[in-house]
Amino acid sequence: MSGVIAWLSHCSVAGVPLTADVLGQFFQFETLVSVFLNGLAKASLYIMIATGLTLIFGLMGVLNFAHGSLTMIGAYLGGTVLTALVASTTGDPARFVLFFGAVVVVFGTLTVFGGLLEVTLIRPLYDRPPIYQILLTFGVTLVLDELARIVVTFYGLQPISDWQAALGTKPDILTRSVTVGSVSVPGLALFEIVFGVVTVLAIHAFLTRTRYGLIVRAGSDDSEMVSALGIDVRRVFTVVFALGVGVAGVAGTLLLWDPNWGASVPLATETLLPAFVVVIVGGLGTFRGTVAAGVLVGLVDSTMTWWFQNAIQFTGLPEMMVFLVLIVTLIVRPQGLFGLAEVGGH
Amino acid sequence: MHLGVIAFLSLYPALHAVLTSSVLGAEAVAVLPDIETMTAVLYFGLFAMSFDFISGYTGYLSFGHAAFYGTGAYFVVLAANGTIPFVPSGTPFMVLLILAGMCALVLALLIGGVSFRLSGVYFAMITLGFSQVLYVFVRGWRYVGSNPRDGVFVTGRSDGFEIGVPFIDQLTVAIGQLTGDEVNGFLGIISLSATEVTYYAIGFVVLLCYFSMQRILNSPFGRIMVAIRENEARTRAIGYDTFRYKLAAFAISGFFAGIAGALFAGVRRSVSPDNSLFFLVTGDALLASILGGFGTLAGPLYGRLFDESVREFLSTGGTGGGLLPYLRGHLPTSVLDADLFGVTVRAAVETFLNGHASLYLGLLFVLFVLYVPNGLLGTIQKRSEGTVTSWLMGWVERRR
Repeated sequence: MSGVIAWLSHCSVAGVPLTADVLGQFFQFETLVSVFLNGLAKASLYIMIATGLTLIFGLMGVLNFAHGSLTMIGAYLGGTVLTALVASTTGDPARFVLFFGAVVVVFGTLTVFGGLLEVTLIRPLYDRPPIYQILLTFGVTLVLDELARIVVTFYGLQPISDWQAALGTKPDILTRSVTVGSVSVPGLALFEIVFGVVTVLAIHAFLTRTRYGLIVRAGSDDSEMVSALGIDVRRVFTVVFALGVGVAGVAGTLLLWDPNWGASVPLATETLLPAFVVVIVGGLGTFRGTVAAGVLVGLVDSTMTWWFQNAIQFTGLPEMMVFLVLIVTLIVRPQGLFGLAEVGGH
Repeated sequence: MHLGVIAFLSLYPALHAVLTSSVLGAEAVAVLPDIETMTAVLYFGLFAMSFDFISGYTGYLSFGHAAFYGTGAYFVVLAANGTIPFVPSGTPFMVLLILAGMCALVLALLIGGVSFRLSGVYFAMITLGFSQVLYVFVRGWRYVGSNPRDGVFVTGRSDGFEIGVPFIDQLTVAIGQLTGDEVNGFLGIISLSATEVTYYAIGFVVLLCYFSMQRILNSPFGRIMVAIRENEARTRAIGYDTFRYKLAAFAISGFFAGIAGALFAGVRRSVSPDNSLFFLVTGDALLASILGGFGTLAGPLYGRLFDESVREFLSTGGTGGGLLPYLRGHLPTSVLDADLFGVTVRAAVETFLNGHASLYLGLLFVLFVLYVPNGLLGTIQKRSEGTVTSWLMGWVERRR
């Protein structure tokens, strides 16, 4: 019997009872605003990580398991560019300019790489069951991660922990907190929010305002019909896959400065899983859903992080919340927030 | 065919001993996996088989299968430490094995009951979600040990875990490299080291599980599983409650995955979240299944054998053989110091062979998906339009 009591006492995860005190603290204006802004910063990272995955899945029905590895490669590539160009004397404005230069370089390189990947490896698999595409990209992940590990070990860049030299290229202004009234927000969070909003708007504009976006949207609805209308769907597939991979790389570059992420080889799995969660919660293949799910997951994450720092002691629970959001969503609404019941033959 | 494989596997330790002490000893050490590795192949092969049982036969990719493997492994370690209520630490291992399987089965029923409302990628993702929740939870759960992130060791009992018939000592052997039994002069001729005893004992349990799964797959129940894979709507239309069949298959698969995990914990006497519950453990099972043949029950075992052999061949080679120590020891210094595109051969060998087996396995995996989608065993079966046995029989017929 004593065994059962010991078991139960360990089961009560909450070490501290939820008091009115903690509740009151949470519902203060400053706390709410800072939790909200941190949540938005996390949300824009989640959206950045997941967008490429969504674009690819929406059009082609390929669930790209290599997405996390591509993000990781983007982070290392961006880091390489930044550490090569940024000196300790470089001023903040120049650092921002160089960062956007790195973003352009990473996007260009990975877009080309993504195009090659699609043409050589994914293309032969379209007429096979979708499971083979998952398997193939899973194999690509193994190769990319191990190659990254070899290169990183060879140049002594610490494959496991974050790449400190690259973290050091962050502009000074982002390391400080911005104080507005009584609320203080990390500068990095604001930068991430702005970057995320701009990217979302750009992709939205691409999908709704350009001719190519129109073809992409039509292709995700009915790719047979689009090809019957005389459009080379295969080429659209390649372009969208390339763009998706490019966006994954940009996401990696953005993660580079964030102390919660940073460039490291395990970043591949660390980003892959949240990306899956966001994509699935939003409904596979809908860009709108991905944005909504990113915001949802980001806000839940920051709220839970606050609660677990202030009221409940259990390490790793914020991490777990992300997956609990996935499970609850799939139980309540199996097709995701904005998803259709059947997408891409799944 | 089965008999041939069993005979090969049971003669393997002797064969290994003979070859490694022969003229080609150094080469054999480099190429052949040692007995510890073979034991790992066996229990992980069982896990891969249980993964293939549900994923290959019903077509539902269970991407969180590591949850069941981990449940089995944690159950054994915790039970041995006496921290599970109503299960004293002295419980015979065979009983623990069954209990661990049952635990995993219950978990599978719970997860499956929710997950089988979904299909395709959604199913794969929700099972992945469940297993990751369990992974993160166990990683932070003080109950399992003082440092749950690094895993737990068996501290509650110092004797080896015994496989055999419970309460009958003559038919029981303890497993484990350090604590296992040795057999000396059984029937006057057979002497086995602890490692070899462990190998045979684990092999026996795996064999038993394999034939049980084989039996289930060849029963009407197994036919329905395949029918669900081929066309679920039609299977439902002819009157089968597919949800129940899928759930039952999932539960059975979970049971055997739990047993595999329990065997793993029994041999290793420790378990950590990363080597039991993490989603890449499922990835390894997937790798084994694809290499060996998706939808062939025995395939994953061969796939894992292949996988582990390549891994060990390319490993850093602390314990057994491997390519790297072989090259280090046998290449002449002139070759090692030769210049190859700016780096010495020695540096190239150290960089590209030092524990980077995943790279080559990943490449192989991609090639398999592209060009050998049925895997090793599946391709042979497809070529011969039947099981490997019938292909062998036909081959013998033609030669007569």
